[in-house]
Amino acid sequence: MQALSLGWPAGLGGMEYSDEFSDQTTDESVVTGAMTKTVLIVEDNELNMKLFHDLLDAHGYDTLQTRNGMEALELAREHKPDLILMDIQLPEVSGLEVTKWLKDDDELRAIPVIAVTAFAMKGDEERIREGGCEAYISKPISVATFIETVRQFIGEP
Amino acid sequence: MGRRRVFWRRVVVTVSSGLKGLGAFFGSLVHESARADKISRARHRSFIASHLMGGLLALCVFPLYLGFMGRPSALPAIAFVWLMSPIAIAWFLSKTGRLGAAHLMSAGNLGALVTFAAAITGGVSSFLLPWMIVVPLEGALSSNRKVVLCAIAIAALGVLALIVGAVFNLLPQPLAFSTDPAILALVGSLSAILYAGGLAISVQIVHEQAEDAIREGETRYRLLAENATDLITRHAPGGDVVLASPAAQHLAGVEPDDLLGKGLFDRIHTGDRPAYMSALSDSIAQDRQAAVEFRLRSEAGEGLEAGYKWVEMRCRPVADDQSDERELVAITRDISEQKAQQVELLKARDEAESASRAKTQFLANMSHELRTPLNAIIGFSDILDRELFGPIGEARYRDYSRLINESGEHLLSVVNGILDMSKIEAGKFDIVAEPFDVAELVHSCKELMHNVAERKSIEIITQSALNLPEVVADKRACKQILINLLSNAVKFTDEGGWVKIDARQEGDMLELAVSDNGIGIAREDLSKLGNPFVQAESSYARNYEGTGLGLSLVKGLAQLHGGETDIESEQGVGTVVTIRLPLECASSRQPEPEGAEKPKKLRLVAGA
Repeated sequence: MQALSLGWPAGLGGMEYSDEFSDQTTDESVVTGAMTKTVLIVEDNELNMKLFHDLLDAHGYDTLQTRNGMEALELAREHKPDLILMDIQLPEVSGLEVTKWLKDDDELRAIPVIAVTAFAMKGDEERIREGGCEAYISKPISVATFIETVRQFIGEP
Repeated sequence: MGRRRVFWRRVVVTVSSGLKGLGAFFGSLVHESARADKISRARHRSFIASHLMGGLLALCVFPLYLGFMGRPSALPAIAFVWLMSPIAIAWFLSKTGRLGAAHLMSAGNLGALVTFAAAITGGVSSFLLPWMIVVPLEGALSSNRKVVLCAIAIAALGVLALIVGAVFNLLPQPLAFSTDPAILALVGSLSAILYAGGLAISVQIVHEQAEDAIREGETRYRLLAENATDLITRHAPGGDVVLASPAAQHLAGVEPDDLLGKGLFDRIHTGDRPAYMSALSDSIAQDRQAAVEFRLRSEAGEGLEAGYKWVEMRCRPVADDQSDERELVAITRDISEQKAQQVELLKARDEAESASRAKTQFLANMSHELRTPLNAIIGFSDILDRELFGPIGEARYRDYSRLINESGEHLLSVVNGILDMSKIEAGKFDIVAEPFDVAELVHSCKELMHNVAERKSIEIITQSALNLPEVVADKRACKQILINLLSNAVKFTDEGGWVKIDARQEGDMLELAVSDNGIGIAREDLSKLGNPFVQAESSYARNYEGTGLGLSLVKGLAQLHGGETDIESEQGVGTVVTIRLPLECASSRQPEPEGAEKPKKLRLVAGA
């Protein structure tokens, strides 16, 4: 498990962003109803991508989809989504690496990142949160918890 | 002649055995306190022997005197009784063990006796006066300066008393001897010389025994030092070696002299020299034993290899009150075996830790690989359960049930992979050999992989030799080998690439090669591959899904067939995995084919 630590940015505590993040939710609550919320899904497994998309779609959220970490960063810059669902194991770059880039970017760091991952061994959640993710959902998900967590961050669509 | 010789021999034997018996008898009279130490035992014994013998001699001479001189007057009678007094002194020593006191008594007794005898035989001019010289000699036997000084004083006092007696005319009328005075003088001097000679010989004997004892002790120590396999060295306060034992040969393959001065220091590994020097100086400064381990360079020799070996040195300051500068004595021994054991132990620990890490990694991977399809299964079924998109009957629900089924199948294949691997690990995977057509197998595998490959626009090319013979092997296992290799190749090849299957005969082996123009494998990861549950990259940054089980299974199954696996790869160019299987493979229930590695060899260890 030692190698795992290589992927985590040091000194990027999740707490650092919590203030900005709560500002964000306040802003959003003001503009609720004015426009549809967009969620960027970063997920390399087709079936899981479909699952997340269908769930978010059913609840009225717009989605952007990518299975690639590099593309995720580009999409985030281009579309400024309201929330990012981040798988951790991805081709080429890990979700944690992408999260670090997002959090290092002044324009993007305010976007909350929820890790949705099958890494669910002891300590994984702590490490992933330390890596900059605002929330952590382990796979397999429960539909209720999944939607509840999304709502917590960006409210109703 | 013969008879006479026998007679003398008998006399010699009798006398010598008599003397031996006598020696043992005198030995038995030595006081307990003096028996332990060899030298003092010899001193006591010689004192007791000489005094007993002297006294007994006087006892024997007395009848002769009676015969020659007739009934003695009072004074000679007293002298004779006096002559027998050493018996009492010998008895005193035997009872008390106080040698100094006994010598003093003996010297005093002799001095007084000589003074008395001289007084009645002419005073200062007595023929017995030379005996006075014997008195200090008697004291000399004690090896005790005080006793010697006292004996000298006694002798001087005796002579002084005789002079005073003569001056003041206090001496009795000298005894009248019918013998010529010259002869008397001769007898007096000669007897004194003989007695003194006897004493001198005793002194010499005691001295010799003492020297023997010392030499024996030294020899014993030297034998220890010379035969010890540990090197014994003596160091000057600066650390220079001033003495080295012959074990230098055993330890460093050099003569002891080669270690003198800086010789030992120069043979110590440069990195260990500071530790060596500080051990020596600590030992001297703190007056305590110090120990240090260092590498010592040894020359090639008997049972020795040239090079550095680990040794341990223990040194301590020499207990020597006579010099202010303290020297050190050190014992150095070969500890290379212990060191080797330590290294082995560390290696075993590292291996165990590495195995444990691999197992943890394996569990993490398994957890991840099982959770990924489970997410789709539970997620979609949850949607159905909640009728999230309206009541059951919606068209998309049918789609979901298909996805659930697909994920279930994937999950099953992961579980089967784990089970197969653990069966191989436990040696419980039975090979059931049956004849089948390889070309057909290749074809069916290609068909199975067709859909997956097409999704990534990957072309699967087959290149089977036309005259492929029938193979006898476990068909299911061979199919799994090919499917695993193909799905790996497809997984690790980018869209639009190709995957190729080659099947041909090489001697009595079947060669199956699956190649691709995919991402390839880094050199450092190649050796790790095929160890169960290890994917080339093991971190969150792992690019590809998978348990890492595929290749392990391939290797394990090939080994069970008595075959082998070969992986060649270049990053960015592609990978070729070649499997060689015997054309005729035996079932595992029959005797194992030669060279077939037992599945037990597969171990849950990452890295070679």
